[in-house]
Amino acid sequence: MPETDEKPPLFKTWKGWYALVIGLLLLQIILFAQLTKLFS
Amino acid sequence: MSTIDWAVLILTLGGIIIYGVYKSRSSRNLEGYFLSNREMPWWIVLLSIMGTQASAVTFLSAPGQAYTDGMRFVQYYFGLPFAMVVLCITFVPIFHKLKLYTAYEFLEKRFDVKTRTYTSFLFLLSRALSTGISVYAPAIILSSLLGWNIYLTNIVMGGMLIIYTVTGGARAVAYTQQLQLIIVFIGLIIAGYMVVHFLPANVGFTDALLIGGKMGKFNVITTGISEKGFDWTDRFNIFSGVIGGFFLSLAYFGTDQSQVGRYLTAKSVRESRMGLLMNGIVKVPMQFLILLIGVLVFTFYQFNSAPVFFNDIPLSQLRESDKADSLKLLEDSYSSLSKEKQKLVADFVQQPNGSAESDRVTDQMLDIQEKQNSLREEVKQLVEKNVSKSESNDTNYIFIRFVLDHLPAGLVGLLIAIIFLAAWGSIAAALNSLASATVVDFHKKFINKNLTDEQDFRVSRWYTLLWGVFCVAVAIFVTGLGSLIEAVNVLGSWFYGVMLGIFLVAFYMKKIGGNAVFVAAIVGEIIVIGTYAFTDIGWLWLNVIGAVAVVFLAWILQVTIFASSKQGVKQI
Repeated sequence: MPETDEKPPLFKTWKGWYALVIGLLLLQIILFAQLTKLFS
Repeated sequence: MSTIDWAVLILTLGGIIIYGVYKSRSSRNLEGYFLSNREMPWWIVLLSIMGTQASAVTFLSAPGQAYTDGMRFVQYYFGLPFAMVVLCITFVPIFHKLKLYTAYEFLEKRFDVKTRTYTSFLFLLSRALSTGISVYAPAIILSSLLGWNIYLTNIVMGGMLIIYTVTGGARAVAYTQQLQLIIVFIGLIIAGYMVVHFLPANVGFTDALLIGGKMGKFNVITTGISEKGFDWTDRFNIFSGVIGGFFLSLAYFGTDQSQVGRYLTAKSVRESRMGLLMNGIVKVPMQFLILLIGVLVFTFYQFNSAPVFFNDIPLSQLRESDKADSLKLLEDSYSSLSKEKQKLVADFVQQPNGSAESDRVTDQMLDIQEKQNSLREEVKQLVEKNVSKSESNDTNYIFIRFVLDHLPAGLVGLLIAIIFLAAWGSIAAALNSLASATVVDFHKKFINKNLTDEQDFRVSRWYTLLWGVFCVAVAIFVTGLGSLIEAVNVLGSWFYGVMLGIFLVAFYMKKIGGNAVFVAAIVGEIIVIGTYAFTDIGWLWLNVIGAVAVVFLAWILQVTIFASSKQGVKQI
């Protein structure tokens, strides 16, 4: 895959941002599943 | 609408046009006009991406969707964050490295002219028609509810934004989208607050959610799996959301010039990536909150009388027909059930959650809800048989009807303005992208290659104006066509999968050439349209089918028919 030498903010590499985006999605899905149970 | 509503509406819309024209200063060349000189920071890119995706129907339809079908629509966006990551890894660096104006230029560099032209044509066809519909869809709702002339509403909805889109190009589009989104969010937050404020004093926010949840509206996560197995016709569940949504988002953000053109305005790969990744972070919670307003509106109507059908125009027509008595009977039954349910809901709030009494009251509430749903269905049937099929779905009318019936003067004007602003944001980006694809992929390719910067600029403005007029003309033409509009709404899914398949081959299958992918794309398109015509499969899956068909067929064709031919195989 093509890479660029531009550094991302906060993390050392872009992989940190990718993990954050997917991690937050998974957290939201877990939270939504709990809310579905809680309010049904 | 009151005078104050008109004042708020006119001031907001006029302010946006003036702001757009004020922000119109850009270099008089292609890069300045279509890509804002590639100088935008990530947060403008983010707001521009969001403003392009969120059309007026997004804000009209989503709360209504939650009211009728619950929160599960949010799952449609679960594939989006994955798509943002793939775009940042693969698409963005290559698009920036090649300094492209349109995504389709890449296909000529990778394959050949015919593949680029075919894909750009598919984009122009689907985007032009869907933009026409995105002018018409909110216009018909507002004109129905407010008694406005539909043709004039179409012209304001799709025509006024042409002023700043033509004069300022991508720069004006991006800056106005930023302001539009801020106003949209402020309006929605106020609307959400007002719904809770209108609930009885003893009913808090969590009580409202609990009532909505007990009535089946808090179904955020669903699997689509029953005793009969997985339901492929189920539109929104976690599997169609993650897989179908991923393919749809990848196609939309990676191959649709209306989105590619937004992140190509970024000043670097870093700014493009940050804009897309932040979109991956904020999109799901944003849609969740918009849907939540729909659940709150539903709860509001558990304490107040809801109309049996939210679009009053077909009901007025039925009242003047020989079906007036049937409608009256249904409306009276619905109203008496509402009153009965209101007492039960008031009783429910008094009971401790989870108690036997609470469960008993919930069962009774659900029983009444089911009867009311049947009555709503009967009214829809009446509308479908005696007025028109296209008017038998009132989902898009629910939220705006609540706004008009219950919000105070001033706020009504603001919420109507939001519908216009949301429409303008997505339509302006569409016109800019239609013009860029026409100029770069067709005019400069086949008509006149040797234009000066000033000529490029002028031609680009003319094409933006022409596409604006075309889209308003489509909106006016489809007025009264009814069922055709539903077909056009899924038009994107006919093409997105195939377009994505072409780009996936281009990026990931280096040994496949232009001839194989071109034939695969044509056959893939036939497969998608055939699947749509002859099966009931949920439309999100069409994106998967189109992409997989092109990838698979291109590979088969390359290793069989085109095995001996190296023609069309290029490396970037």
